[in-house]
Amino acid sequence: MEEILKLENICVGNEELKILKDIDFSIKRNEIVSIVGESGCGKSMTLRTIIKLLPKNLKILDGEVIFEGIRLKDLNEKEMNKIRGKKIGMIFQEPSSYLNPLFTIGNQIEEAIRENLNKEEKKERVIKVLEETGLSANVYYQYPHQLSGGMQQRAMIAMALINNPSLLLADEPTTSLDVTTAFTIINLLKNLVDQHNLSILLVTHDISLANYISDRIIVMYAGIIVETGKAKEIYENPLHPYTKKLIECLPEKYKKGEKIKTIKGEVPLLKNLFPGCPFSPRCDYKMKICEEKVPIEINFENRTLRCFKYGDIVES
Amino acid sequence: MKNILKRLKIRNFVSFVSFWIILFLYLLAIFADFIAPYPFNKQFRDYPLCPPTKIHFFDKNKRFHLRPFVYEYKLVNPALNKYEILTEKICPIYFFVKGEKRKILGLFYSDRYLFGTKEGKIFIFGTDIHGRDIFSRILYGARISLSIGIIGVSISFFLGFLIGGISGYFGGKIDNIIMRIVEIFMMFPSFYLMLSLRAAFPINLSSFQIYLLIVIILSFIGWAGLARIIRGMVLSIKEEEYVLASKALGLSTFKIIFKHIIPNTFSYSITAITLSIPGYILGESTLSLLGLGIQEPYPSWGNMLSVCIGNLRILSTAPWMLTPGFFIFLTIISFNFLGDGLRDVLDPKNW
Repeated sequence: MEEILKLENICVGNEELKILKDIDFSIKRNEIVSIVGESGCGKSMTLRTIIKLLPKNLKILDGEVIFEGIRLKDLNEKEMNKIRGKKIGMIFQEPSSYLNPLFTIGNQIEEAIRENLNKEEKKERVIKVLEETGLSANVYYQYPHQLSGGMQQRAMIAMALINNPSLLLADEPTTSLDVTTAFTIINLLKNLVDQHNLSILLVTHDISLANYISDRIIVMYAGIIVETGKAKEIYENPLHPYTKKLIECLPEKYKKGEKIKTIKGEVPLLKNLFPGCPFSPRCDYKMKICEEKVPIEINFENRTLRCFKYGDIVES
Repeated sequence: MKNILKRLKIRNFVSFVSFWIILFLYLLAIFADFIAPYPFNKQFRDYPLCPPTKIHFFDKNKRFHLRPFVYEYKLVNPALNKYEILTEKICPIYFFVKGEKRKILGLFYSDRYLFGTKEGKIFIFGTDIHGRDIFSRILYGARISLSIGIIGVSISFFLGFLIGGISGYFGGKIDNIIMRIVEIFMMFPSFYLMLSLRAAFPINLSSFQIYLLIVIILSFIGWAGLARIIRGMVLSIKEEEYVLASKALGLSTFKIIFKHIIPNTFSYSITAITLSIPGYILGESTLSLLGLGIQEPYPSWGNMLSVCIGNLRILSTAPWMLTPGFFIFLTIISFNFLGDGLRDVLDPKNW
C-alpha cells in the first residue's frame, strides 16, 4: 500500500523549547492510525504540524511532512489552502465551539466546497454528505446550538468530508461526547474509511478506543514517540513501560470495587525537561542511564520502541 | 427580514414600534415633495410666527362637519405676533388638493399634494419668523438630517471594519501602527476637531457641497473609536475555535475575516450602528446650529433650531419653533430602542 502521509524527523518548537522531537511515522492509504498519550504530550500539535496551523510562537524547526509526494514545507499559504479542507480534512474535540454559532450547518458546509457548483448542486451535495454521516436533511437549515453534541460532531465530520479528502485528521473527536454517542461516531469513522477511500489519523487518550478503531497505534510521551506498532500487538503486548502503564489504567481491566491504578506523577513540563528519558521519573524500571540520555529508536518486526530496557544501544 | 420583525415584535415590543417610527420618518422624508403642503422656502409674509393651525370638526355653532376644517388666522399685532381667529369662514381640508407645481422625487411634476386647503392656510406646526410652514420644512429637513446619519454611519463603519479588522487580524506591527494613528484621531476633542475641519473649508459653498462636507467630516471623526473596538473584538474572535476550524478547511483570509470574524462582531456593531446614528444627526445639528452647516433657506433640523438660540422671546411666544427638536428626540430614541432590540434578535442563540 502506498504511503499517503509521511513525517520525517519532525521537530517543532521555538528558541526556548522543543515540543516535538524526531516525530517519524507514516500512514498508508485506507489505514487508521491512532496517536495515544496523556494530555500535553504533543498529540494535537502533531496534527497541527501536518496541516501547518501551529500557534504563532511555534515553528517547524526541522524535518519534512510529505503528503501524497508533496513536501508541505515548500508550499506557501495559498498553496497550502488548496490542500487544507480539500485533501486533508480535520475534525476537533469540541464540536460546539468549532462551529460558527451565527450560521446554519448547511451554510457552513457549503462554503467549504471547492468546486464551482451552483446553489442547488451545492445544497444537494451537502445534504448527501449529511445523510452519509447519519444526519437528516433537516439539519441543513439548523444552527449549531440547536444540535446535540453528537450531531454537531457528525456535522463537523460532514464538513471535513465535503471535498472527499484523502486524509482525515481527528483531534480527540469523541472526548466531549458520552460513551454511546462516542461509539457511534467511532463506528461512523470506521465505515467512512472504505466508503471514501480515506485514511484517518486519530488522536485520542483512550488506548482501548484506539485499539478498537485503528490499524496501528503510536504512543507519544512528552513530545517524542515512545512506541509504535500494530494496534493489536501494542494493546495485547505492550513493551514500553509507559504503554504498559496506560493499559494498566483502563477501567475495564478491573473488577468491581477494585481500586484502579494510576500512573503516579505527571507529564513533565517541557520547559524544565531534563536530559534523560522523559518518562524516567515515573518509570518502574528506571536505570541509571535513563536519567542521562534519551533512548534512540529500536526497530523490530514492524514495531519501534524507545527504551533502554530493550537493548543497550545508546544515542551518541 | 420578516422573521426578524416577527421576533422583534415578540421579544421587544418597544423596539418593534421604534422600527415603524423610523420607517415612517424616512418615508416622510422621501415623499416630502408630495406630503408637504408648501415648498420649504415659501414665505407667507402675512403669517410670521403663526401658531399651529387648529383642526376642527365642530364649528362655532357646534355643528359637526364630516370633513375637518380650519379657520383663517389674521395678524392683529405685528409687534407681539398676536393672531386673531376668524371663525366666520370655514376652510375645509381636502386630500390631493391642487397647489403650485412641484417636482416630485426629482422625477416628474405634479400639482397635487397629500392634503391642503383651497382657502386659508394650514400650518400644522405653525410658521417661523419668515412665515414659512414649519411642518413642510421639517419634512424637507428630514431628508438632510436623516440621510446624514445613514450615509455617515456607512462610511465610518466601512472604515472602522476595514481598518479595525485588518489591525486585529494581522496584529503585530500593522496593529501597532494603525492603533497609534487611531489614537491620534481620538486624542482631539471631537467637537473642536469637527469645528476646525469645517473651518479648513471655505464658508460659502453650495448647499450640496456643504452636505457632502458635513458627512465626510462626521464620518472622519467617527471611524476611529469604532475601529478600535472592532480591532479588540477581532483580536479575541480570531482565537475562537471556529476560526481555527475554518483555517483547517483552507478558507482564504479574506473569507475568514468577512464570513467568520466580522459577523461575530455584529452583536456589538449593530447596536453601535444604531446608537451612533443619533450622533451624526446631532453633529449635523450642532454644525448647523453654529451656522457652519446647512445654510438657509435650505432646512435641516439643526438649523431650524438654531433660530431659537439666543432668542428668548421666540421661545416664550412661539414654542412651536422647537418642533424639530422633538423630531430629533424621536429619531434618536427610536434608533436607540431599535438597536437594543436588534442585538437581542440577531443572536441566533436567543431564538
